[in-house]
Amino acid sequence: MRRGSIASLLGIAVVAGGIATAVAVFLPWLPTPASREAGRIDFVFWFVIAICIFIFAVVVAVMVYSIVKFRAAPDDLEDGPPIHGHTGLEIGWTIVPAVLVIAIGIVSAIVLSRNDALGKNVLRINVTAQQFAWTFSYPDANGFTTGTLTVPDGRSVLLTFTSLDVIHSFWVAQWGQKQDTVPGLHPTLHITPDRIGTYAVICTELCGLGHALMRTDAIVVTPAAFASWLKKNRVAAAPPTSSSSPSVSGAAVFTNNGCGACHTLAASHSTGKIGPDLDKLKAWAAQAKQPLAAFVKESIVSPEAYIQPGFPKNVMPPTFGTSLSKPQLDALVQYLISSSKG
Amino acid sequence: MTAATADHELAPRGGGNWGLLYRAGWIRAAWMFCAFAAFGFALVVAFRWWGGWHPLLKMTDITLVALLVTGPLGFLAGIGTFDYWAYYAIGRPTRPEDHSGHGATSWKDYFRVNTDHKVIGVQYLATTIFFFFAGGMLALLVRAELARPGMQFVDTQTFNGLFSVHASLMIFLFVIPAFAGLANFVVPLMLGAPDMAFPRLNALSFWLLPIAGIMMLSSFLVPGGAFACGWTGYVPLCSTHEPLGAIFFNQGVQWAGASSIMTALNFLVTIITMRAPGMTFWRMPLLVWANFTTSLLVVIATPFIAGSQFFSMFDHVMHTAFFDPNNGGYPLGYQHIFWFYSHPAVYIMMLPGFGIMSEVISVFSRKPIFGYRLMALSLMAIVVLGFSVWAHHMFVSGMASWLRVPMMITTLLIAIPTGIKIFSWLATMWEGKLHFNTPMLFALGFLSMFVIGGLSGVMLGAVPIDIHTSDTYFIVAHIHYVLFGGSVFTIFAGIYYWFPKITGRMYNERLGKLHFWLTFVGFNLTFFPMHILGTEGMPRRVADYAPRFANLNMFISIASFGLGASSLVFLYNMITSWRSGEIAPSNPWRGMTLEWLVTSPPPTFNFDEIPQVVGSPYGYGTPGAQHAILAPARTAAPEEAGVT
Repeated sequence: MRRGSIASLLGIAVVAGGIATAVAVFLPWLPTPASREAGRIDFVFWFVIAICIFIFAVVVAVMVYSIVKFRAAPDDLEDGPPIHGHTGLEIGWTIVPAVLVIAIGIVSAIVLSRNDALGKNVLRINVTAQQFAWTFSYPDANGFTTGTLTVPDGRSVLLTFTSLDVIHSFWVAQWGQKQDTVPGLHPTLHITPDRIGTYAVICTELCGLGHALMRTDAIVVTPAAFASWLKKNRVAAAPPTSSSSPSVSGAAVFTNNGCGACHTLAASHSTGKIGPDLDKLKAWAAQAKQPLAAFVKESIVSPEAYIQPGFPKNVMPPTFGTSLSKPQLDALVQYLISSSKG
Repeated sequence: MTAATADHELAPRGGGNWGLLYRAGWIRAAWMFCAFAAFGFALVVAFRWWGGWHPLLKMTDITLVALLVTGPLGFLAGIGTFDYWAYYAIGRPTRPEDHSGHGATSWKDYFRVNTDHKVIGVQYLATTIFFFFAGGMLALLVRAELARPGMQFVDTQTFNGLFSVHASLMIFLFVIPAFAGLANFVVPLMLGAPDMAFPRLNALSFWLLPIAGIMMLSSFLVPGGAFACGWTGYVPLCSTHEPLGAIFFNQGVQWAGASSIMTALNFLVTIITMRAPGMTFWRMPLLVWANFTTSLLVVIATPFIAGSQFFSMFDHVMHTAFFDPNNGGYPLGYQHIFWFYSHPAVYIMMLPGFGIMSEVISVFSRKPIFGYRLMALSLMAIVVLGFSVWAHHMFVSGMASWLRVPMMITTLLIAIPTGIKIFSWLATMWEGKLHFNTPMLFALGFLSMFVIGGLSGVMLGAVPIDIHTSDTYFIVAHIHYVLFGGSVFTIFAGIYYWFPKITGRMYNERLGKLHFWLTFVGFNLTFFPMHILGTEGMPRRVADYAPRFANLNMFISIASFGLGASSLVFLYNMITSWRSGEIAPSNPWRGMTLEWLVTSPPPTFNFDEIPQVVGSPYGYGTPGAQHAILAPARTAAPEEAGVT
C-alpha cells in the first residue's frame, strides 16, 4: 500500500469519524441523568459509542476509498488481482474486535454490579403494577399507599415489584434503570436519585389497551422534605383499626388505585379515555336501567357484569372487589356519585 | 405453449364436468376446505356434547379446530399436495414420475402444486413480496397514527393489531421465506443438482405459507380484532387477556414454522447428498454455506417457538396453566422458550443474506472472496454462538440476575465472526474492479447499514445500556437497521442479481438504481431518528406519546411514506421487466458459479450434462480458472482448469 492511499484512507476516516462524533455530541441523546445509576449507564454508553465511532470510521473509510478508487469503467472486462486472503490481516481483525468487545464486557459488568449494590440505610418501597396503574406502598409509613412515587434525594431506594395481572415494566428515563414486573415473581430495582425534580414513570412493556396511558410521576425531594412527607402520611394512613373509620377519602382511593389512568373525572382532574367518562355516570346508569349506587358498585367489583356499549370487554381489572376494603369501596362509590355531573 | 398447458390439465384421471371436482386444483381445494372445516366443527361439537360442556357451540374452539387446523389441511389436500403420498398409502397406483409437475408454461402453472424447485422459488418470491406489501401497508398505517400525539385514525385495539401483524408478516411471511424462495431457486443450480432432494415436500412447504399469511391477516376480521400483544406474544397478556385474534397468531406461526422446518430439512439433505462430482464442501459457494448453516438453525430452533405457541394457546383455549402464575405456571418460561427460537431466528434472517452478499460482492468486484474458509467458519461460529445468547432479550425481564453477564459476554462475542465477515467483504472490494449495478448498490447499502445495526447491537449487548434502552424506540431503530438495512437490502440485491436467471430477461437498470437510492435515503430518514426517540425516553408499542416527541415523529412518518413509495418503483420494474425486458444472456454478470453456466431461464432439469466441479467458485483474476465444466469433451482440458 502506498503512502498516498494511507493518507487518503486516514483522511476519509477522520471525516467519517468527525461526522459520527458530531451526531453523537450535538444531537440530544440521553436525558440528563437524575440518579447515580443513570450516570454510570451514561458512562458505558459513551464508552461504547467511542468504540463504535472508531469501527464505523474504519469501515466507511475503506468503503468510500474503494468506491472512488476501484471503480471500473462499464466496458472494462478485466478482473482484479487473485488475492484469496491474508492470514495476518485475518488474525488481526479477529483479535482487535475481540479485545474491544471484551473491554466493553468488563466495563459493563463492573457498572452493573455497582448499580446493583445497595447503599446504606436503604429505603424500601413496594410497587404494585396492574392494568393500567402504578401504586406505591411505603412500609416505613405503615404501608401508606399512593399513586405517585416520592423519594428522597441521595438515598438508596429499593423497589420491589408485584404485578396483579400481566407483565408491565417500570422505567424512569432520567433514572436509566428499568425492570419488568412479572406476575408470580417479585423482582427488585435499585435507584439512588441524585437530582430533585419530577419525572415521568413510564410502563415500557405492552400490557394491553391502556399501555400508552400507564404513567405516573416520580418526585424526588430533599431528605428533610421526604421525612416530613412520610411523617404526615404515616399519621394519615395509621393503624389498621382505623380502616373502619369514616375518614377514608373517596378521592384518595380514586387516585391511589389509578382509576384516572382510564377514566375521565373532572373532580380529580383525570382525563383517561379507555373506559367510560365518569362525569356522565348518571346517564350511564339510566342507560343500563339500574339504580345509581348499585350500578356504580357493581361496575367496580365485577366490571364484566355490564359493559357500556362502545367500550371493550376484559379491560377493567376485576380485582378491585378484593383489593379494596369495604370502607374504601363505599367511600369510592360515594365520591363518584357526588362528583359525577350528569 | 397452449398445447403443453392443455396436456397438463387433461392428463389426470376423471373426465367430464365432474372431473373438475375431483382433480387436484382450486375447485377441489375449495370444497375440501369446507368439508374438512365441517368435520372439525362436528368434532368439537361431538366432544363437547360427550364431555357435557356448555355451551355446545363455543366460538373459540370451533374457530381454532375448524378454521385454523382442519380447514387448511383440507385446502392442502384439495390443492393436491398430498396426492402422491395418499395414493401410495392406500395402495392405488401412483402416477409414474412423468415430470408433468415440472416447469411452468403459463402463469396458471404458478397457481398449482408444482414440484419444480425453480417454479417453487418463484411462487415463494411472489407470495412473500405480496406479504411484504401487505406488511408495509400496515406499517404505514402505524406511522399515520403516530404522526401526531394523541389518537387520530384508529383505536388502541386496532393500533396494537397493526404493529403486531406488521411484525409477524414481515418476519414469518417475508424475510424468512423470501430467503427460502431465493435459495430454492438458486441452491440446486449452484450444486449442479436437477432439483431439491424432496420435490413433493418442497411443494408442500410452499403451500403452507399462504395459509399462515392469510391466517395472520384475517385476524383483523374476527370479533374483537387482530392479535394485539406484539409479535413476541408475551404471556399472560397474549394467553389470557386477548381476544380471539390471538389464536390466529399462535396458529399462523405453526403453519409458517412447519414450512420453514420442511424446507430446511430439504436444503440439508440436498446440500449433503446432491452436490455435483468434484463439489467438496470447501468448493461450495458461500451462498450454499449460508443456507446450510441457516437450515441447521431452523431445524434445531423452530420447534421451540412451536412449543411456546402451543402452550400459550392451550392456556388461552383449554385453560391449562403452563404460563399462568396463579396456578403454578411460569410466565418467564415462555420468554425463555420463545427467545431460544427467536434469537437464532435473527440469524435465520441474516445468514442467507450474508451468502447473497458474498456472491454479489465477489462478482461485482471481480475478485475472489477474501478469506473463503474463514467466511464459512464464521457462519458456523454464528450458528453455535447464536444458541447461547437468547436471554439478552430478557436483561430487564426479572430472570435470574447472574444470567445477565454470561449472556452479555456471548452476545458481544458474536460481533467477532460478524466483524470478520464485514472486514472480509471490504477486503474483497479492495483493489478490485468495481461495477455498480443495482445488486452491488444494495450490497454496499447493506454493508453500511448493517454496520450501524451491528454496532447498535453491540451497544444493546452491554447490559447497562440495554437496561436503559430496552422496550424503547432505540430497539425499533436497531431491529430495522438489522432486518431492513440488513436482510431486506440483501433480499433486494439477490432478486436483482438473479432476476435475469429467474425470468430470462434483464431488469431496468435505471429504475433499479432509482429504487436503491430512494430506499437508502428513505430508510435512513425513517429509522435513524428512532434511535434518538428511544434514548430520550419514548417507549415502543404506544399509539400516544408525550408532545415533546411530536416533531421527530412527524418527520419519521413523512419519511416512511417516501420509503413506502420507493417500493412501488421496485414493483413496477419487476412487472414490466418480466413482461418486456431485454432478453438476458446466460451469464450477464460474468459469474463463475454453476447457475451461470446454463441458459436463462435454466432448462427444466437444470443441467443437460452432469457438471464436473474442478475449482473454487471464486477464481476471478486467475486466467483460465473455472469452477466447473459442463461437457468435458467440448470445453477446456481439466488440467488447464484445475486451478484452485
